[in-house]
Amino acid sequence: MKTLLVIKKQEYEWLIDLFPGVHPLLVPICNKPFIEFLVDFAILAGSNALRIVSDGVLEDVEHYCENGSRWGVEISYGSMRPADDTHTVIEKNRRFCLEERVIIISGFLFIRYNKKSEYASLFASLPSGELLSCPNGSISLTGTSTTKTGTPGTLPFSLAALDSIGKYYELSMEILSTGLTHYVIPGYSSEENCYIGRNVVIPKSAEIIKPVIIGNNVQIMTNSIIDKNSVIGSNVIIDRESVISGSIVIDNTYIGEHLEVKNKIAAGNLLIDPQSGTSIVMEDPHLLTTMTQSRVAGALLRRIVHAVGATFLIVLQLLPWLLLRPILGMQGKWKRKREQHYTGLPGKNVTLTNTTIEGTGAASAFAKALSLDRFTLLFNVLIGKLALIGNLPLPVTPAIRRLPNSHEGYRPAVFSYAEAEEWPEIGIDAEIVEHYYAVHSDPLKDIAMTQKALFHRTH
Amino acid sequence: MNISEKTINNYTIVSLQGILNASSAPKLKTYIAGMPDEQSLVIDLENVEFLDSSGLGALVGIARKKKTSSAIMKLARMNERVKKVFEITQAYTLFDIYDDVSAAAEA
Amino acid sequence: MIFHLDTSTTLPLGVVLLKKRVDATNSIELQKAFAQWLQQTNNFVFDCTELDFIDSSGLGAIVSCLRKALEHHGDVKLAALGPKVAMVFELTKAKKLFSIFSECSEAIQSFVTVSTT
Repeated sequence: MKTLLVIKKQEYEWLIDLFPGVHPLLVPICNKPFIEFLVDFAILAGSNALRIVSDGVLEDVEHYCENGSRWGVEISYGSMRPADDTHTVIEKNRRFCLEERVIIISGFLFIRYNKKSEYASLFASLPSGELLSCPNGSISLTGTSTTKTGTPGTLPFSLAALDSIGKYYELSMEILSTGLTHYVIPGYSSEENCYIGRNVVIPKSAEIIKPVIIGNNVQIMTNSIIDKNSVIGSNVIIDRESVISGSIVIDNTYIGEHLEVKNKIAAGNLLIDPQSGTSIVMEDPHLLTTMTQSRVAGALLRRIVHAVGATFLIVLQLLPWLLLRPILGMQGKWKRKREQHYTGLPGKNVTLTNTTIEGTGAASAFAKALSLDRFTLLFNVLIGKLALIGNLPLPVTPAIRRLPNSHEGYRPAVFSYAEAEEWPEIGIDAEIVEHYYAVHSDPLKDIAMTQKALFHRTH
Repeated sequence: MNISEKTINNYTIVSLQGILNASSAPKLKTYIAGMPDEQSLVIDLENVEFLDSSGLGALVGIARKKKTSSAIMKLARMNERVKKVFEITQAYTLFDIYDDVSAAAEA
Repeated sequence: MIFHLDTSTTLPLGVVLLKKRVDATNSIELQKAFAQWLQQTNNFVFDCTELDFIDSSGLGAIVSCLRKALEHHGDVKLAALGPKVAMVFELTKAKKLFSIFSECSEAIQSFVTVSTT
């Protein structure tokens, strides 16, 4: 038996805003990443291989699940186009689907199951075709059954669509109140309905009321109460005399003192009311904050190399700039625009003056050939606000409040890698090149790429 | 890089072997340009040992050309190394990718 | 914020319309203005219909207004809290300190009912 998971980006996209930086398939439900519930189910159903297919980025999922050896199941990954139907997806994965029966789980679904039930023999005996469906997807089976049995009665699993924050909350509460023994829940459980992770500090004065799930590295301060039906994620601090009840506190969250979080979801500095869907971004760090891991200063060499490169260019361009800038300015061909741009650090932006040189005169052509339009930006490299080469700075627009998730490894720069390559024609091509060099670049290669960019920009 | 060719159904299967980078990408482009524009393609990537941004650029360019002449271009049998490049660059959003050549040549 | 004295009932009431945000930038302004309004009346309704956001300094200012009003044997009642603002009041337990009404008119009426009984 094998399992094919088909989940489209469109189905899980709504989660990205609520859990920034976490791939929706890894969003924790009761402190267990969503995908693990499906991995567990696939294994229970007798699968020896699982393929996850999506039209979205699976990098983080792959990084987390790897090849599945942790679970003893072979996990592979595949891509699809947004418009593909299930039949096309099966065709695209024909080699995977060829030899054995395949369970196809399609849609962003939660499957309710009970780890104590016997699924392997059940799935082997079920006829092919659709087993269950709901508006958000379905679970079906290919191939023919090996054993002949009559049509099964009610199946010992059911589907729950995951399409809103309300559903997410309901599902978590449902697992807490009735399903803790049905799934494998992370944490130590010395008594029923209580799961506690590693490195959890609970003072004597604090009160914990079951059912409860607490993650790793959690500090609960004096006189706090974790009331029933709460899920506390990992790396969480609940400050003194605060009350959490019927709520989900997501990983890396600080909850200030004297607060009452009741029937809410707290994720970093975001507080969500799952019933109404209202969410508020808290601006007071002493109420709710995201706890960020400090960044390692491994980029120092790159910064030095880039600063040296920028200094070199400044020296080279200074004289032409001093000569041409006033001429072009007078001709009205030197256009400047100040705009806010993302820096790559959450919540921090940088104001840059973008210059465009217009016209075709000799002075314009010469200035363009020397890339004088980037001259002033070079100084930002010296103060470390920009890289010499990297991504084109992304302007802050009201439409995108945050740096989109697709900009992993984003490093705003004076020149972009896309300018160094000959082939990019449109925006998406440039993105491909920038993604490529976000991974495949080193400080010395950067200098070569800068030269290439300077050269190509003139053509 | 070696390029070999066979035909399944209406598709020309172009199998690449070796390194697809800045120095070999033009060879692929010229090879494909030697075919009629409206010829649909499956590019078999199983034996591509290395793919860089220029190689990717060649594939994107071919896909774009085929699209304008209403032909189809599909990719098949990506190995782990090639898959990695498609993943980090998110270039997979531009292509139909199959794990089997004959499946690609049928649809 | 806009202040007006409501004389539709027997009791002179200060109705304060809070706009957009009450935060670190305007919370001191609110407290100063409130001290002035206190000379005209002890009873207030803070109409939050147009209030979108409140941070902890804004919350602190409103709580201090309440405290001052109570010292003068008056009250501050809140009306028409939006869902986001209500969440902050709930989270910080400030909700328990105030009488909260869904409509401004209800809040005004409530003063009259109390004063006649």
